[in-house]
Amino acid sequence: MKLVDLLRSAVSNTLRAKVRTSLTVIAIFIGAFTLTLTSGVGTGVNRYIDDTVAGFGDADAIFVQKSQPMANPSDDDGPREYDPESAEIETGFGMSFAGLSAEDIETIRAIDGVEWVAPMYNVTPTYLANEAGDRFELSLGAPADAAGLQMVAGEIPAADADEVVVPDSWVEDLGFSSAEDAVGGTVEIVMTDMAGKDRPFEVTVSGVTQANLAGTAVNPVPSTGLQKKLYEYQVSGGAREVPESYMMAVANVEDVSRAGEIKAQLADEQMIGVTVEDQLGMFKAVINGIVWILNSFAIIALVAAGFGIVNTLMMSVQERTREIGLMKAMGMSGGRVFGLFSLEAVFIGFLGSAIGAAAGIAVGSTVSRVLSDGLLSGLPGLSLFAFDPGKVALIVLAVMAIAFLAGTVPAVRAARKDPITALRYE
Amino acid sequence: MATSAVLEAENLVKIYGRGDTRFDALKGVNLQIGRGESVAIVGKSGSGKSTLMHLLALLDAPTHGVVALDGRPATAMADKEVNRLRNATFGFVFQQFFLTPNQTVLENVVLPLKIAGVSAAERRRRGMEVLERLELADKASSRATDLSGGQKQRVVIARALVNDPAVIFADEPTGNLDSATGAVVEDILFGLHRERGITLVIVTHDEDLAARCDRQVYLRDGFVVEEVTATAAEPRSETPSASLPAPRPVSRGRHVAPPSAAEGESAGGAR
Repeated sequence: MKLVDLLRSAVSNTLRAKVRTSLTVIAIFIGAFTLTLTSGVGTGVNRYIDDTVAGFGDADAIFVQKSQPMANPSDDDGPREYDPESAEIETGFGMSFAGLSAEDIETIRAIDGVEWVAPMYNVTPTYLANEAGDRFELSLGAPADAAGLQMVAGEIPAADADEVVVPDSWVEDLGFSSAEDAVGGTVEIVMTDMAGKDRPFEVTVSGVTQANLAGTAVNPVPSTGLQKKLYEYQVSGGAREVPESYMMAVANVEDVSRAGEIKAQLADEQMIGVTVEDQLGMFKAVINGIVWILNSFAIIALVAAGFGIVNTLMMSVQERTREIGLMKAMGMSGGRVFGLFSLEAVFIGFLGSAIGAAAGIAVGSTVSRVLSDGLLSGLPGLSLFAFDPGKVALIVLAVMAIAFLAGTVPAVRAARKDPITALRYE
Repeated sequence: MATSAVLEAENLVKIYGRGDTRFDALKGVNLQIGRGESVAIVGKSGSGKSTLMHLLALLDAPTHGVVALDGRPATAMADKEVNRLRNATFGFVFQQFFLTPNQTVLENVVLPLKIAGVSAAERRRRGMEVLERLELADKASSRATDLSGGQKQRVVIARALVNDPAVIFADEPTGNLDSATGAVVEDILFGLHRERGITLVIVTHDEDLAARCDRQVYLRDGFVVEEVTATAAEPRSETPSASLPAPRPVSRGRHVAPPSAAEGESAGGAR
């Protein structure tokens, strides 16, 4: 028997017992549908994380801070000993906390495996003013994050220019009609020095950013040069010179797999290093955990459906005993009989999984669209369900493989039938 | 009619079961069937006649002894060759028809061609050809289950013929038919035998049917008890057209066979 005839016979035999086939197909449908949806969530969320992974910063970067930046006195603590060497960061509000000193930066730079270190200043502008004179509270994001921002319009700020990017949600309040309109516009950042004297800095808007999961696009982000300029004014005009101190430093490592040992060395120096992976790890672990729990339910459903296939085909083999006997008497080999019945199983699997996957994609895409416009509108770029054609094909193929495995039991039984006994069977 | 043996059986023994349930179906049967010969295997229920046919048709293997086809022992053949032989060299006609319900007459008829891997267009051509020969062309697209008994048996014969076999094995071909329809089926079978030189091996307990064969082999309790050969030059007068009913009891030769009263050799009913 030719493969095409075998296939055609399998399909028509499957469709012959409509009710039985439908019920088995429904069982597989449920499994495949669930698996498609859970895989869709996994793909959607992970793709979103990957897209915004840059938003968290460079994957090769370690973000370094002092171990105990804030003094958190508790009832049990005695007074802390004064350390003249400690680098206190002036915040401009009479508060200060321990930052990284120039010495610390040197220590980090000296660690084996660190390529370069970029210290980050703590700049606290007084307010932001638009061209119409409206004033807004302002905290600035870190220039180190700029590279990973997703832009709605324009570019990230050029390192040495007095440029800033603003979040999409700020555009209207700043007096611009659209994101495109905002690019090239100017705003004023007003700083106050140690003597309490305000000074406006005129800054060009180089681009508009899209919100992301990392939260790096919540605030305007200045260029490195602008940040340094603002910082220098912030610490000027005082009675004493403020020691150089940094809120944080970005250490770029040559080989991210060595991040662990570098972090250990930082810990010895009372510093904490955090990589992008550390930040993302939690998210991914939680999402993958949820996806796998859901997947396991779907797989349980599929295993149950597999037994459904065994049952269906067992009945079919029983019913068609004489037909099998006849085919064998007429010279059909056991292998072909096996092929015929396993193809029937595979076809049932294909029906269930193809319909299930199609329904899963339809439902997932619809839910995704509704959520993006509603509940998840705060996270543009996130579609909760995303479907990777390769993965969907893999699900369909995997279900067909399960169906084949389930089909082997009845198929072997059919193939082993003795033609004479089978023909005598009533 | 050629004299070379197409099928030979030597000292065939077939034992089913063991111990208390042991049943010796055949106890040493020797038989030669010539090319183009028609042979009736006659016996009561339990005489071993069906078992003998199954062994000759290579549907089953003997416990002892050898079945040879054209001088080649079946034990020397690979499974694949045995399958090919059953598909292309043998045709089967069963008392219970064994038509697949819900398939059309044509689909049923071309099953051996489908198994042989013949293309769909060729299957259709040859299927229609054989249906026309058996005057069933107008029923080609009917469901097999919608036919009368006689039509069903003609479909079964068409199926046996479609692959142009050298030997047709017929197990009680008229057992489920009334005598008029049975006679038509008989005429078709003997017409094929005469016109196309197809070797006929008919298993029956019907004396009249057996008498129409060139030779009758009587079996009892697993032994051949008698062989009767008709006189070679006996004129035949069957109507050439296979479709004309001609119930014509023919009795010749002598026999000491068991009474021909039907004892329900096969209890299977038509589908």
